[in-house]
Amino acid sequence: MAVIEVSGLTKRFAEGPLAVDHVTFAVEEGSVVGFLGPNGAGKTTTLRMLLGLVTPTEGTAAIHGRPYRELASPLHAVGAVLDSAAAHPGRTARNHLRIHALAGQVPPSRVEEVLELADLTSAAGRRVGGFSLGMRQRLGLATALLCDPEVLILDEPANGLDPEGARWLRRLLRGLAADGHTVLVSSHLLAEVAQSADSVLIMDHGRLIAQAALDELISAGQRVQVRSPRAAQLAAALQDQGANVRLLDADRLEVTGATGEQIGTLAAGRSIPIFEIAAQAPDLEDVFLRLTTSTQQDNQDMEVPA
Amino acid sequence: MTRLIKVELLKLSTLRGSYGMLAVSAALTALFASLEASRAGTAGGGVAPLYTASGLSAVTTVTGWSMLFAAVLGVTIAAGEFRHATATLTYLASPNRGRVLIAKTAAGTVAGAVFGMVSALIAAGTGLAFTAAHGYHAALGAGTLAGDAAGAVLGAALFGAIGVAAGSLIRSQLAGVIGIFVWGLVIESLIGGLFTAVRPYLPYTAATTLAGIKLGGAAFGPAHDLAGVAGPLPFAAAAALVAAIAVTLAALAARTTLTRDIT
Repeated sequence: MAVIEVSGLTKRFAEGPLAVDHVTFAVEEGSVVGFLGPNGAGKTTTLRMLLGLVTPTEGTAAIHGRPYRELASPLHAVGAVLDSAAAHPGRTARNHLRIHALAGQVPPSRVEEVLELADLTSAAGRRVGGFSLGMRQRLGLATALLCDPEVLILDEPANGLDPEGARWLRRLLRGLAADGHTVLVSSHLLAEVAQSADSVLIMDHGRLIAQAALDELISAGQRVQVRSPRAAQLAAALQDQGANVRLLDADRLEVTGATGEQIGTLAAGRSIPIFEIAAQAPDLEDVFLRLTTSTQQDNQDMEVPA
Repeated sequence: MTRLIKVELLKLSTLRGSYGMLAVSAALTALFASLEASRAGTAGGGVAPLYTASGLSAVTTVTGWSMLFAAVLGVTIAAGEFRHATATLTYLASPNRGRVLIAKTAAGTVAGAVFGMVSALIAAGTGLAFTAAHGYHAALGAGTLAGDAAGAVLGAALFGAIGVAAGSLIRSQLAGVIGIFVWGLVIESLIGGLFTAVRPYLPYTAATTLAGIKLGGAAFGPAHDLAGVAGPLPFAAAAALVAAIAVTLAALAARTTLTRDIT
């Protein structure tokens, strides 16, 4: 069952270009979805429309079938981290959480629990203005978890976290997923969410350019190096089958979009000898960059005057 | 709605800035009340002796600062949310922005009332202390003092609400704070001095009227002692005028600022 449903979501600010261009996706209950894209891709605007903070120009966004603004108890339904700086610098971490505990109608004892969870107990009495970016991120996550919501929407939660903090975040996301929470987590780095996400949505220039399970993305990014004396003939045959082929040498090819087994079978069928075949572990960042770069190229091509 | 108001009051009570503004308002009240009391009855002081009702009233009604600082606090209640990006969290907790505005207005009103109360107590205390020190009998009865104090509380409460509405409209805390002081201390003094007929209808002047401050008494420059053709507004009219300004500004804020995208 889809917990988050976004349909044709579009946003144009003033007379500017489309910040978000007819984005449609759904997030299934209990899944962890990575929301990826380079800075300025439209991820934050999409999340803010989903949370009722930005009014869409077109389209709809719903959580549990309702727009966020119509949720009966929004803090219990959705926890969100959108801006690590969203805390008054003159207020202590504990008081910051007390305010949101009162707003969400949870007992004050819950404040201490989330402080412990975010490893901020020792800093609870300090003013947020003196916090590092990583501590602010953890305070934001503690705020989001205060009402133990079923759905979590996190915008770049790893920003500013040191390696220890990043590991803590990964553990937290995995724990939340294991508990059946639905998590939509944005990042501009695929590697950041690869260890926690079941699937990914990739945005670029306001458009959703890919939506896939992480396994699919990994196999799509798998590269196979092949050495054959009839490399050009094999390349043509593979291209006919829809694979992407790059000629590295007179007798060496790099193939994406086909597995080693598929390449071997195809070569055997055409009596093309193969001297060497080796699958290489996919570089997820490379996959991500290839996807987003090709969109940028498409856009540049479109902008070139006739 | 009660919970939302409690949230806004908790926000105020957990910031040192709120207490700082109250302290500055109280200190300025004490300073100016003491200055007025020192000038009372002196040649060229412009203030009647403390043994007269007029002289004592000039000291016990030095409560104008509380109204300005209540408005400043109101601005920070609303515009501070945008300055510190906490508006996102506020609207995530309470997506109905109209209800948030009402809660903030209520919190600004309550905080303003506290400012007015503290200021009234300090001004009355200073006036009575100077009077007693001179060995005079108090020329003002308890009823008059209580009435002026109640007016100061009402004026500051309404100015707290005006500050929230102005802060919601402007969304810039710095511009809002500067605007409040410039309006109260400069623009009203200028307009009030140049156009005496409209002076009673100016918001800050009308609010000070509630506290028993003589017309122009809270103004600076020539407008302070200018004899006008129009007298002060009656209490109810002044209260209605200031309340109408607060409601109008809040309605404008609800229609414009609160529908804007929180980016």
